[in-house]
Amino acid sequence: MKKILPWFIVFLLFFLPGVIQAQSQIIPEDSIGFRDFLIVQKEVPGLSYRYVLGEKSISDELASDSIYQFSKTDTGYVSRLISDFDLAERLENRLVADSLDYQLVYFVFSNLSSHESTYEYLANLIRNGDYQVKFDEDGPKEDLVSLASKAPYSPLQKFKLRFFSDYQLFGVTLVIFFFFLVALGMIVFMLVMKARKNKRENLLKEYERIIIDPLTSLLFEKELKEIQEMDQNEIEFYFPQTLLSKSLYKDVLVERIIGLNKRMKGEFKDKLKSLYKKLELDKNSMDLLRNKKWDRVTMGLVQINEMDLVEALPEVKKFTNSSNFHIRSQAVAILLNLSDQVDLTFLRDQTFPISLWQQMNYLRIIRFASLQKDLKLEVLFDSQNSSIRIFGYKLVRMLGRMDLIGVLSSIAGGVAEEEKIEILETYSTLGAHMEVDFINECLHAQNPNLNLAAAKAASVLGNSESAEILFGLIKSETSFGNKLHYLKSLYELDREKFDQATLDNSSNEILKIKDHILDPMLQNV
Amino acid sequence: MKRILIIEDDLLISSLVQFRLKKDGYETFLVSDGNEGIKAIDALVPDLIITDVMMPFRSGIEIIHHARQSQPDIPIIVLSSLGEEEQVVLEAFNLGVADFIPKPFNPNELAIRVKRILK
Repeated sequence: MKKILPWFIVFLLFFLPGVIQAQSQIIPEDSIGFRDFLIVQKEVPGLSYRYVLGEKSISDELASDSIYQFSKTDTGYVSRLISDFDLAERLENRLVADSLDYQLVYFVFSNLSSHESTYEYLANLIRNGDYQVKFDEDGPKEDLVSLASKAPYSPLQKFKLRFFSDYQLFGVTLVIFFFFLVALGMIVFMLVMKARKNKRENLLKEYERIIIDPLTSLLFEKELKEIQEMDQNEIEFYFPQTLLSKSLYKDVLVERIIGLNKRMKGEFKDKLKSLYKKLELDKNSMDLLRNKKWDRVTMGLVQINEMDLVEALPEVKKFTNSSNFHIRSQAVAILLNLSDQVDLTFLRDQTFPISLWQQMNYLRIIRFASLQKDLKLEVLFDSQNSSIRIFGYKLVRMLGRMDLIGVLSSIAGGVAEEEKIEILETYSTLGAHMEVDFINECLHAQNPNLNLAAAKAASVLGNSESAEILFGLIKSETSFGNKLHYLKSLYELDREKFDQATLDNSSNEILKIKDHILDPMLQNV
Repeated sequence: MKRILIIEDDLLISSLVQFRLKKDGYETFLVSDGNEGIKAIDALVPDLIITDVMMPFRSGIEIIHHARQSQPDIPIIVLSSLGEEEQVVLEAFNLGVADFIPKPFNPNELAIRVKRILK
């Protein structure tokens, strides 16, 4: 803005004097010159005039003149409104010859107008291009040299007059100029970007090509121990320091080593991991964790995970409660994946709710980790985050941890109803018959969803008391869907009670449900 | 000297395989896409083809189809990261490939399989 302002002022300085000078030089400002100018123009659109005579009596010849048509007023005579200024000169000669007192009065669109207003009106017409000025064909009557001497000399004045005074033309020219300037700028910008992109792509190809030989040689010609014992000079023999100092080369190296690590197995994986550290690319990955951009941090976490950088785990742990979904998901996955002794407290302390996608991802890793490591799942039950607690109950179910049923039993009474539903499903899946009292308690709850979950669990784990409660629920229930669920559970739990519930009740709805349950063709519908 | 054609779009992987097989004394040829692979099969008539499945222009399955029609006796080893996709593995074996090696793989193991097939 500060840069534009001076240019704007310069623009005004050019523009304003040009307009004023143009007017003053085309139309004379004095009344006689102005009148003479109008006489040359003969007619100007919207402009007319009349003569006012301050005499009580004029000659009969003048009074009866059919051209000027004078009429008598209280103060003298006035002519008709005349638009042809050529007539003014002739009349004025007669008035001067008769020594009459007269005054020339202008009208703009039949409205009385002063000399200044008339001048401004005419100047506007000319400026806007609505009127084409006529010039005296006979040329100036004065000596041309003496006329020229009146005009002050200034270089390029004509250019200034014609170009800068026409502000519309000047504006359009300016817009077109800026348009071309911006277009040119954009073209140059695109060319520069394209050249940069091409250069980068060529460099990438070149780097990809030149890392093949050293990588291949190292992987096939060196043993793992030899790679681990390589010193800096040996490393530089394969990967020159001049190239290693370039970030693009390092990026290519990281990408290719990680890519190979994914596609290869056995000793080659170990060699690649060792090489990754020898080239100090692990520091590169660690540095990414300090980046402000979340995608770079995630990239660093992925690299740590892929290359098993166990020493980075304390740093990774800091990201388990990150506000960014991708960062914390990746950080948790790494801790589950790489920790020797998985302490799930970092998961317990997560404050953000975990999505189903995250649960699926963690479950995959935990299922794998649980085969090799002792996982203290019960710490998840102590979480302040209900989604973590629910995930803990699911893990008990998914991993078949019967040993944790007792822990669940001790907390089940005091948890939220949503969690009770998850615990009931876990009991049901694991066949926890000893928890039937809790199931019956949930059957009495006011929450229909909890009732339904308890009914489902009761169908597998229930006792006679459960059957009685279900019997009562069927009688009092009004929803068709809920009745269907209760009756199905009762059918699975106690056939006699089911028959009793369907016989005692003559409701058409109940009979339809009964037919549906008993029809083997509809068992899975 | 036995001639082996390697059709693989990942230059680093193909170079590693080439390096390992050269160590065993094979003559190797690299191509990086399906179209080039088909041309190379007809032009070189190799003793063995090692091909990836997912490649530009033509897939590995199309290459196997072509090889079975034009050079039915050439053994083919499929080297692919689609090893867990049963459909791809079954299709490859139905077309008569000699072996299917899923990625991640061990180049030494590949070399042993190549040696067994070309024996």
